[in-house]
Amino acid sequence: MMPREAEIAIIGAGIVGLCAALELARDGAEVVVLDDAARHAGTVANAGSLHVQMQSRFIRMYPDQVPGLERSLPLYVAAARRWAELEAELGTGFELKASGGLMVAETPESYEFLARKCERENRLGLTVEMLGRAELARIAPYLGEAVIGAEFCAEEGKLNPLLANQAVRRALLAVGGLLLPESRVARIERDGAAWLLHHAGGTLRAGRVVIAAGAGTGALLAPLGLDVPTVAEPLHMNVTEATAPLIGHLVQHAERMITLKQLAAGQCVIGGGWPARLAGAEQHPTVEASSLIGNLRLASHIVPRLARLRLIRTWAGVNTTCDGQNILGEAPGLPGLFLAVPGDAGYTLGPLVGRLAAAALQGRDGGFDIAPFSAARFRAAA
Amino acid sequence: MPPDMHLTWHDADGVARAVAFRAGQSVAAALTSAGIREMRATRRGLDGEGRGLFCGMGVCQDCLVELDGTPNTRACMAKATPGLVVRHQPFPGVARLPAGPVPIPDDTPPPAPEAVDLLVLGGGAAGLSAAIAARRCGLDVLVVEERAALGGQYYKQPSPGLDAPPLDAQHAQGAALAAQAESSGARILRGAELWGAFEPDRIAVFDGARTRLLAPRALIVASGAYERPHVVPGWTLPGVMTTGAAQTLWRSHRVLPGRRVLVAGNGPLNMQVACELAEGGATLVAVAEAAPGPATRLKDAIAMAVADPALATKGARYLAMLARRHVPLRHGTVLTRIARSPDGALRVTLRGAWGEGVHETDAVLLGYGFLPSQETLRALGAECVFDAARGQFVPRRDDAMMTSVPGLYAIGDCAGLGGAPAAREEGVIAALAAAERLGRTVPAAIAAEGDAARRRLARHRRFQAALWRLFAAPRTGLALADPGTVVCRCEEVTKGEIDAALADGAPPLGEVKRRTRCGMGRCQGRYCAPLLAEHLAETQGRPLDDRALFAPRAPVKPIAIADIVALAETP
Ligand SMILES: Cc1cc2nc3c(=O)[nH]c(=O)nc-3n(C[C@H](O)[C@H](O)[C@H](O)COP(=O)(O)OP(=O)(O)OC[C@H]3O[C@@H](n4cnc5c(N)ncnc54)[C@H](O)[C@@H]3O)c2cc1C
Ligand SMILES: Cc1cc2nc3c(=O)[nH]c(=O)nc-3n(C[C@H](O)[C@H](O)[C@H](O)COP(=O)(O)OP(=O)(O)OC[C@H]3O[C@@H](n4cnc5c(N)ncnc54)[C@H](O)[C@@H]3O)c2cc1C
Ligand code: FES
Repeated sequence: MMPREAEIAIIGAGIVGLCAALELARDGAEVVVLDDAARHAGTVANAGSLHVQMQSRFIRMYPDQVPGLERSLPLYVAAARRWAELEAELGTGFELKASGGLMVAETPESYEFLARKCERENRLGLTVEMLGRAELARIAPYLGEAVIGAEFCAEEGKLNPLLANQAVRRALLAVGGLLLPESRVARIERDGAAWLLHHAGGTLRAGRVVIAAGAGTGALLAPLGLDVPTVAEPLHMNVTEATAPLIGHLVQHAERMITLKQLAAGQCVIGGGWPARLAGAEQHPTVEASSLIGNLRLASHIVPRLARLRLIRTWAGVNTTCDGQNILGEAPGLPGLFLAVPGDAGYTLGPLVGRLAAAALQGRDGGFDIAPFSAARFRAAA
Repeated sequence: MPPDMHLTWHDADGVARAVAFRAGQSVAAALTSAGIREMRATRRGLDGEGRGLFCGMGVCQDCLVELDGTPNTRACMAKATPGLVVRHQPFPGVARLPAGPVPIPDDTPPPAPEAVDLLVLGGGAAGLSAAIAARRCGLDVLVVEERAALGGQYYKQPSPGLDAPPLDAQHAQGAALAAQAESSGARILRGAELWGAFEPDRIAVFDGARTRLLAPRALIVASGAYERPHVVPGWTLPGVMTTGAAQTLWRSHRVLPGRRVLVAGNGPLNMQVACELAEGGATLVAVAEAAPGPATRLKDAIAMAVADPALATKGARYLAMLARRHVPLRHGTVLTRIARSPDGALRVTLRGAWGEGVHETDAVLLGYGFLPSQETLRALGAECVFDAARGQFVPRRDDAMMTSVPGLYAIGDCAGLGGAPAAREEGVIAALAAAERLGRTVPAAIAAEGDAARRRLARHRRFQAALWRLFAAPRTGLALADPGTVVCRCEEVTKGEIDAALADGAPPLGEVKRRTRCGMGRCQGRYCAPLLAEHLAETQGRPLDDRALFAPRAPVKPIAIADIVALAETP
């Protein structure tokens, strides 16, 4: 039976929506989560890398965003820890491993830049260190000769998102959350102090609403007069056949787009932001030859042994981009509507952002000042 | 046999033995003739056994071995060579350091694709016929064929280098067609795999040494078909293979799948292969055909004979030959279970209206119809529709064999099973249409051949229609599986695990895949996805539309990263 009323409705059953719902349902709220069959979702397509250290590439490309990146750094640390807590709380393993992450450099100049970033992150309270060729040969012998050094962050790691998503979903159902996975919300309408959600299966009247719709967020808010410029960013991923333990860390590059790691079952997952193509709003994103080739060329350059592995599958998923920062808190001018869109590396941030959104809805302090993440910033800019 | 024709096999315990082979044989054929059936371990070890040769045509990825240090290599596609070291493949393999220098990435985008008038994917009956006709219209033609030999599944040519005379007219006709294609002026890449279809004018092919990006102005897909899986307890055991795999062993490599052979399935191929193997010296334990006997469907048998007397006679000859050899042929009978008996044989349960019987055999051949290989077509966006009668997705085509994507044609088995004669006619029709599309004036004589091809095609289709009415039998889908039966061979996902996922909120296909890993394996879901789609349609009423299958993605088949990044320079 389709429910017609709910205390709290959550639009989006991605990692953020599920985690927000879980927190609220655990506190006894009646929660209904609606989703659009995960058509354009990062959660079902992401690579499960837990990112913590700042991206040196972004710092170079967008120096003006550095204050924002630095402000967010503590959130990434907390987010990675929240994942570990969640795995313990749910009692289902999702192959989470704080394996540590390496951001590799190929030139002295790039290494120097990393070293300065490392120093700054240390000052901000993150434990990171620079490793030279000799130390790398010891802890990461799989790296190719091109790599001269790396910044190491022990807090980084990986998990298996397929297992994690299921564990969170089951936990939500177990505490009485209701999930409507194939109920796209077409329109949100104010109804007194409540909100009407017109969705594929009918209309739901909810006291309060959390919008955790990823790239679909902007389109839901525009008719309500709020401009939140979320953009769907189709991304490419590669996965190889399973092999004996090879790559121990989460590996990134100081200057180029790549993340790679090995799953517990032995497959190596290679991605890092290479573009896919979005043929239409209703279509699955499709993979591009140039991304596939470019991504693998770089991967086998950093980890030569990868060249010997077969590529088994590629896939494409839709990431959400905006200005790199979280969008959190009550929507300005729309009381009772709460926003929960994570910033870069949104899967890492997911459980924490879900928790912060739940706290905001309950009027509690979630442990972080979320005021800087208000959607009001887009208004100011406009 | 020259004394040096040996390879070394290391079994699961690392024990080495020499295996003799004949020149030209594949590694899988050599191992099979030495009685070696299990070639690799599995991740979960569900049946207490590993896997061996199953599809015999490079699709299922079950016959993986370590070949001279390279893990996870398909034994069915690799040629045996003297001194080769072949190891039972543990799970997972070990990727060793590449010998050569590692590519230095530059930021230049991949080279611009090579232009060609017409690219033909597949060197079987359909593809070769298309290539020949297109050359006669003056097109520049490139044919890509994964195998070392041309001819495809129907003509199944002797493996190159095999010193054996053609077995019959089918072999001889195939040799003639291949020779005609070779001399047509078409460029033919053998041992080349199309691994990525990104856009109609961006196709990635590994030619054995390098990856080439191609930009054809027209593309004819003639990628054939593979066998529909018959999911019963024990269907993954080594020694259980498709009828086509056994036929390839025999026709291309002169190796019998076993001394004692049991054939079970639906359709005429099974009887043909049973006869061929019996002629070759195998003992046929039984042949089980799911359809009722022809006597109960006389009208269709007669219609078939009218449409093509010669082919119908051929069928009757097979029946007579089986009777002469006292091979028990049971109609209306389905194979329901396979188990390993204590003495190492396979114990097979057959069930029919007559009751149930158990047989012991060395090899089991399963031939429950075919599924079109349409991954390339789907990747390029060709619309597919579900043919409920045959239980398969087929591309929508116009009279000229063109799909919903302009300039993309689908011919032969990949467009729905129509048999080799129809495949050849479709090749001619599509080639002429492609030539016209590319602005060539088709000479009158050739255009007339196109008209003749259409007339013959109509007759072949009448024959096929009657044939399939004659052989119509219910599809068993997942109904014969136990909870512990593997449904997804590659990822080792059981029926019970799929049922559990389905019971939890009736999720759509993609979500079942994410929860269970069904369809995430090396075969790209070729075997499990169509079954799962039909199962979801039955149990949840989901439409069997374009979304009912997984999104098609590169690579078409697993390919080494080294082979992807070894890009050919644009000439
Ligand atoms: C290929 C890829 C790899 C990635 N790898 C990583 C990684 O390794 N580590 C990392 O930290 N991050 C990674 N990311 C980013 C990460 O996946 C996302 O940031 C994160 O999953 C976002 O979660 P979400 O819940 O905010 O949104 P999503 O997961 O995008 O979920 C939003 C949901 O809202 C639904 N929705 C949208 N509109 C509507 C509507 N109108 N009605 C109902 N429902 C609606 C959608 O169907 C969707 O399910 C990756 C992203 C991609 C695409
Ligand atoms: C296993 C099997 C056995 C059969 N045996 C018989 C029989 O004995 N008698 C009978 O009457 N009919 C038989 N048939 C049916 C008959 O073979 C077909 O009707 C006929 O072969 C169709 O020709 P085709 O050109 O469409 O396909 P095929 O003959 O199958 O040719 C397709 C070709 O495409 C190649 N190919 C596919 N994908 C790629 C790729 N990505 N890259 C490079 N190359 C690729 C394959 O290697 C293959 O050679 C059989 C079918 C199968 C599948
Ligand atoms: S059978 Fe190969 S992926 Fe399922």
